[in-house]
Amino acid sequence: MKIQSRIRSRCHYYGRKVLLFLFSVFLLSIVVFYVSRLAPGDPLVSYYGDRVEKMSSEERGRAEERLGLSAPIFVQYVRWLDNAFHGDFGISYKYKMDVVEVIRGRLGNTLILGGIGFFLIFVFSLLLGVLCAWHEGRWIDRVICRVGTIMSCIPEFWLSLVLILLFAVELRVLPSSGAYSIGGDKDLVDRAWHLVLPMTVVVAGHLWYYAYMVRNKMVEEARRDYVLLAKAKGLSKRAMIFRHCLRNVLPSFLSIMAISVPHVLGGTYIVETVFSYPGIGTLSYESARYKDYNLLMLLCLLSGILVILCNIVAQVVNERIDPRMKAEVVWETSRDAARVNGGSESAGENEDAEEGGGEV
Amino acid sequence: MMEDKFQIVGIQNPNEDAPNQVDIGRQEGVRPIFPRVVPIQKPRRHRDKPILAIVLLLTIVTGCLACEMIMTKDPAYMDLKNYNLPPNGEFLFGTDSMGRDVFSMIWYGGRVSLFIGVLSTLASTAIAVVFGAASGIAPGWLDELLMRLTEILLSVPSLLLVVLIQAILGEANVFSISLVIGVTSWTSIAKVVRTEVRGLRESEYVIASKCMGGGFFHILWHHLAPNFVSSIMFMVVMNVRGAIVAESTLSFMGIGLPLHVISWGSMLSLSEKALLTNSWWMILIPGIFLVVTLLSITSLGNFLQKSINAKQSNL
Repeated sequence: MKIQSRIRSRCHYYGRKVLLFLFSVFLLSIVVFYVSRLAPGDPLVSYYGDRVEKMSSEERGRAEERLGLSAPIFVQYVRWLDNAFHGDFGISYKYKMDVVEVIRGRLGNTLILGGIGFFLIFVFSLLLGVLCAWHEGRWIDRVICRVGTIMSCIPEFWLSLVLILLFAVELRVLPSSGAYSIGGDKDLVDRAWHLVLPMTVVVAGHLWYYAYMVRNKMVEEARRDYVLLAKAKGLSKRAMIFRHCLRNVLPSFLSIMAISVPHVLGGTYIVETVFSYPGIGTLSYESARYKDYNLLMLLCLLSGILVILCNIVAQVVNERIDPRMKAEVVWETSRDAARVNGGSESAGENEDAEEGGGEV
Repeated sequence: MMEDKFQIVGIQNPNEDAPNQVDIGRQEGVRPIFPRVVPIQKPRRHRDKPILAIVLLLTIVTGCLACEMIMTKDPAYMDLKNYNLPPNGEFLFGTDSMGRDVFSMIWYGGRVSLFIGVLSTLASTAIAVVFGAASGIAPGWLDELLMRLTEILLSVPSLLLVVLIQAILGEANVFSISLVIGVTSWTSIAKVVRTEVRGLRESEYVIASKCMGGGFFHILWHHLAPNFVSSIMFMVVMNVRGAIVAESTLSFMGIGLPLHVISWGSMLSLSEKALLTNSWWMILIPGIFLVVTLLSITSLGNFLQKSINAKQSNL
């Protein structure tokens, strides 16, 4: 009886989350649809391409009628939704192909860049954060914090340019663009070689902020009473940091990482464009330049869905780990994230200086 | 006996300035693992002032504002005989691939970049304050809906959103691009404003003002804003930084300002060509100016936040 009611409440909980997700996606699709219909340019062009210019006005009228462009915009939206459920998102004007096909060809590359980048950011920021907390106030901590502050001020595209200038133009050791050499798309080494520079920029652009967050949380955690108890029990520093502090820091770190997906994603978009890496980022850049609205719309929708999903995952992670967290608190978390984003450096430097002052 | 020797975290120590404070770990010859015992130091009010940042920022801002006096050439003039020159006596920072003098362009273009940073921050702050306050004052369901809406706006990567809106507005100019950047970067401030307003809306003076017939904007400006201005100050400063980055990124990618409107971003949009000809000065010099400005703004923002926080904790 008790188990049943627990299962029911679980179902209720996840059902609510799924409903929330669907509702958000629905709102998102409305926004994206309306915005793309506001865009200038002839929607007929995106269906028929250049042939539109040769059409007579009667033909145009008929074509508009057939595509439903003369109907009110909410009727158009319902039709679009209907098509979308059948997997038809329209045709890319530039590629003269089904939009879904165009994206499918590019998705893998972005997933490789973004996925591996995200993983590296995750691992390295934990490592760096723990390293800083371990050596809190010593030179290595201060150097890392300083470097992080400086790196966070360097725009990603400029970092990419400087790296290309240095490694591809000056030293000629690394390729400057593309995902593989011509004819080398099956060659894994070649692909990895092309990934080095873009990956460096993606990781270097985001690493510091998250490392900083880990560091500050660890430092805060290290001042708690249970650490003193552990120390009194004679636990080693390693055990205290990894078994006690890190475990308490991880939940909030996980949820911040989930919220961070849009930032990392936005970052890969820029990096892809600079390195002409054939992924979603370059595609959305092209679709914006060539006014390929069907494509742009689906891209916005896809990344939006991914982000909404990540936000909800973050909520669930938070609530599962810490039942005290209610929906209201999640707002606070994302607000904190926004604050930490800028505030991290100051807090760190402050502590930094204090510790440093003690050493002297 | 203990208290004049050690300060323990969380315990007020009356003798802040006593000179012979000793760290407990140090005294016993043990290095503190986690410094539970924080060494005492003199209050530092002037030490943290980011003098270097202020000086650099002032130099850049005055240089850009007074660019007519500094510029050695006309920044828009294309000297076709002297294109792609490395830095030399006549052209201090070299010339770009269209024969324009980079030194003059830096100051002239910096004006545009900084202006966009400030203008779009003004736009986004205005939107954020009104939206956040409205959401904070509104009844529960409306508040929920508005916040859901901001979350959806946040969910589209802002770059993509900027691209989409810019595509609708057509050819970018200084004002349209500021507007676009402003419209896409207000959500985080709005969330803070909303939280603060929710805490304030039940206070007596707000209710009193409402009873006396004060309108939404009156209450917002005279009663709410003075209370949350300190908590959004830091984010506003950081917003300037974000806007400058956004402008340069967009212009670099060719979606922002066109080439003939000189800004740091549009100068960098020539860098594809510069890479081919290995003209490092066209990439490094505008970039260094950009990064130095951003760094100065950051440390200024950090300082602001620190001093505001210090004030709050003294109360």
